Amino acid sequence: MSSASQATDKDAKLRDGGPGRKPVKVRGLLVVGLLGFVAAMWLAPLVWMFSLSLSDNTALQTNTTSLLPLEATTENYQDALAVGLTPRWLLNSTIVTGVTTIATLLLSAMAGYALARIRFSGKRLVFPLILAGLMVPKEAMFIPLFLMFAEVDQHNTYQALALPRIAAPLGVFIMTQFFMAIPRELEEAAAMDGASRWRIFTRIMLPMSVPALTALGTFTFILTWNDFLWPLVSATDPEMFTITTGLASLQGNFAQANELGSLMARGAIAAIPLLILYFIFQRYLIRGIAMGSGGK
Amino acid sequence: MATESTVAPAQHLTSDRQTHATLSWRDRHSDSIAAYLFLAPFLVIYLIFLLFPVIQALLMSLYEWDLLDPRVRRFVGLDNYAEMFGTTGGLTWGVTGNTGWRLLALAVLLAVLIAAFRGALARATAWVSAGVMVLIWVLLGLRPGADAAWTDGVFWSSFANTVLFVLLSTPLIVGVALALAIPLARPGGVAAFLRIVFFAPYVLSVAVLTLIWGFLLNPDLGLIASLTSWFGMEPIAWLTEPGFAMVAIVVTTLWWTMGFNLILFIAGLQDIEPSLYEAATLDGANPWHRFLNVTVPGLRRTLVLVTVLQVIASFQIFGQVFIMTRGGPGGTTRVLIQHIYESSFREFRLGYGAALSVFLFVVMLVAAVIQFRLLNTEEDES
Repeated sequence: MSSASQATDKDAKLRDGGPGRKPVKVRGLLVVGLLGFVAAMWLAPLVWMFSLSLSDNTALQTNTTSLLPLEATTENYQDALAVGLTPRWLLNSTIVTGVTTIATLLLSAMAGYALARIRFSGKRLVFPLILAGLMVPKEAMFIPLFLMFAEVDQHNTYQALALPRIAAPLGVFIMTQFFMAIPRELEEAAAMDGASRWRIFTRIMLPMSVPALTALGTFTFILTWNDFLWPLVSATDPEMFTITTGLASLQGNFAQANELGSLMARGAIAAIPLLILYFIFQRYLIRGIAMGSGGK
Repeated sequence: MATESTVAPAQHLTSDRQTHATLSWRDRHSDSIAAYLFLAPFLVIYLIFLLFPVIQALLMSLYEWDLLDPRVRRFVGLDNYAEMFGTTGGLTWGVTGNTGWRLLALAVLLAVLIAAFRGALARATAWVSAGVMVLIWVLLGLRPGADAAWTDGVFWSSFANTVLFVLLSTPLIVGVALALAIPLARPGGVAAFLRIVFFAPYVLSVAVLTLIWGFLLNPDLGLIASLTSWFGMEPIAWLTEPGFAMVAIVVTTLWWTMGFNLILFIAGLQDIEPSLYEAATLDGANPWHRFLNVTVPGLRRTLVLVTVLQVIASFQIFGQVFIMTRGGPGGTTRVLIQHIYESSFREFRLGYGAALSVFLFVVMLVAAVIQFRLLNTEEDES
């Protein structure tokens, strides 16, 4: 007994790299050092973008490799938000992403609830049909979609940007799995009291699924905000660009070397909403990713 | 009041049983209606904007379909596919040609045979994958006859570039994520902070990514040039040198999406029973043996999943190259989706673009199925 507990004790020390034997400590430090170095490399490009965006454009003519702003100024940000279409693109992205996220959450939760909790004829057909959609590479199917919206003259609209994204079945899959894991007792008690399906769904199931919905919502928000190919194909009018396609259009024809700071400020403006969202919701987001793929 | 309350439970029971019986009959009908009411909003959008386009793409691929001229919608059978795969004058076959790719197919064949010989692969799986490799080797020997060329040479080069990107990016991104996941899976503030750092680039849009990396890799302005000059190297024009552009795209993508795989691996690692590690340590296993005998088997499912997801994502590469290199230099980074995009919206040939899309879809499906078969053998046997 005592030797076993000693062994696990030592073991714990080994794993912690704590005050155990010396080689272990050295190796632990080495791992930490290496990790720190790699993490610094991972951060450097982001830091560099923010540094350039806060630098004076003329100062950047001579030096562009500083990780700290040169002659720090917020002028680039003010310019980006005052001149040109960047504010409009931000607005477009916010509307499209907001609508898509809310619609995805609502429709996925409703469909997931039906699939997880209601016995109905045809389920054996419907569920595989939705799962099959997971195999469809959305990126490869933009031609028929383009034609569909062209025929009803709906390109360069918000609905054209949002609808194909809402059709993604991953959210239904995630919510189905989530609802299946919820114990049935609560729901049955409410049903005894004569609550309707819709009431059970809105009053019991939805409040219980707030963590899952937060995860799915964050993930959907990020993917939609960053969507590139479909907005590129559908929204050809610069007024209807999203911040992602707009920023891409600037990179093609900018007087780049002269306006590096301004360009980077626009990049930072596109990145900041998502970075903030990420820092607030990272716990949920990370769990959502594990949920979306772990259950297969 | 008192008498009522003593009687009530009994009444309640009987009435409950009754309603239950009647309900279960009624339920079967009303529940189907309720279920479809809940499903309808999603199903309608899903059928219109996801499933229908797939069928429509299959149909369109059989048509000559002009984007600008609605009168040109002519059924042409498999002509688009013939143009994609065909030549201007016959086909010949040789043992030489496509040497690099064919050696790779042979190497994979050899690996499959060795794995099968050592009992690591189910026999059926081994035969199928060996057969696929031989088939690939044979197909790679096909080439246009004398004085002829491929009808669509760009298709072949963009397909080759896409496959090259998949083969370079998948092991690199999966490998780096796995290596980082092992130290970062443990609890604690530092590990949690580092997880946040490594995942952060994933939330950036592709346009921000290309903005940062386009300049980072710039030989005159970028950080990488100043880094390599420390080692006395001449600055490399990463994005305009044919030999370097694809490598630069792969590294850019590694920085961008590695964090996603990292999170999946960490979730997988945290699902492994800690007692297994303790048992292995008690048996005197060193860290390397613990990795091989506990981590690798416990992570097998996650590894399959991550690899398949990465291959699927890599096949769909588009934004990075489209913005950073426009497919250049000399077409060395042009990928399939760019070819689909350009066929459809530069040459206005929607039918041909649809045929290319169908091809990409099929290739991705086949690749996913093969991987599930190859990597998932343990579950077949058990």
